[in-house]
Amino acid sequence: MGCAEMRESNSRLTALVEGLTDWGIEYFVYVPSSHSAPVIRGLISAGVSNVMANREEEAVGIASGLALTGKKVAIIMQDNGFGNALTALATFAQPYQAGFPIFANTRGGLGEYNSMVHSISDSNPDLLKKIGIRVEDLGISDSPEVWRSSTQAVAQMAVIQRRPVVTLFESLHPGMETIK
Amino acid sequence: MKRIEALEVIDQIFGNDPLIITCGATAREMASISKKKSHLPLLDSMGLTTPVGLGVALGVKGRVGVIDGDGSLLMGFSILPTLKAYGPKNLVVVVLDNGQHASADLMLSQASEVDIAGAAKGLGLWVGQCDSAEEMKSLIASRTGADEVSMIFVKIEKGNTPGIPFYLANPPKLSADFVESINS
Repeated sequence: MGCAEMRESNSRLTALVEGLTDWGIEYFVYVPSSHSAPVIRGLISAGVSNVMANREEEAVGIASGLALTGKKVAIIMQDNGFGNALTALATFAQPYQAGFPIFANTRGGLGEYNSMVHSISDSNPDLLKKIGIRVEDLGISDSPEVWRSSTQAVAQMAVIQRRPVVTLFESLHPGMETIK
Repeated sequence: MKRIEALEVIDQIFGNDPLIITCGATAREMASISKKKSHLPLLDSMGLTTPVGLGVALGVKGRVGVIDGDGSLLMGFSILPTLKAYGPKNLVVVVLDNGQHASADLMLSQASEVDIAGAAKGLGLWVGQCDSAEEMKSLIASRTGADEVSMIFVKIEKGNTPGIPFYLANPPKLSADFVESINS
């Protein structure tokens, strides 16, 4: 990735952080990811309280508990972890009306270096919709302004509708030469 | 001590403090003796009780209790290091350990072979252990004003109380009541 493309990618991830701070995020629960790292670091720099979870279903449990106390909480994760999170989403967060947004970077697309991650990542939108989870998308063709406003709007919607809502966002691996 | 006896004592100790309750026979037995708005039973989310309790404890100021089982805790064992790293001092996790997945055809759990309390201790968590109602009361009471998360492992008898019906509660109602209780 060239410098200009890296800046473009980072400006969208910065916009995601800004959208969450516009919303008034109080907590985020995250599972480590190099793709989501700029978002995680951005939120930490903004002084947002956080918990690093070891697994995605654990993150869903912690975020659900926080959401039920009225905290504005989001999960930041990678989409290949949804296989771990599905049961927790379907049997707790969704039926117990825990409203929070999940922002997950996508894997398996153009420029992907891993040979098997697409086998879960390509299926995620269908899997999530099948269990009744609304899925939004933010792509590299969307402007940073759209990323910022959509992020805030999705987070508000999750709380108002008392349900988890997933946003799948495209981000290019920070350390790789890739197609864009 | 039978599980239902332990539940009765825990319910009394926690009063109207938020209490997150693991699924299966534990939730059913608790519902058969006490239903409160401050109770949040997980009806079908094994392994999630302590993570939900951690989230609730981070979000409120007062004491929060979790009733987990050895089987459920083992299903989400990765929560233990997270508890140590972030566990707020207002959280008390009581693990009712019968060495058994009592709601899953009474299959033995790995806790019948391994020392899960020792694992928690090894992670640096504060751990109390007991096998009687009086010791459990005293351990929980001793954690008032504690400066870190508390994990209390209670050995209970194997098996379930017979004749307890399925708990067919409505999750949105359970969570709405729980939220009302937190905000009251």
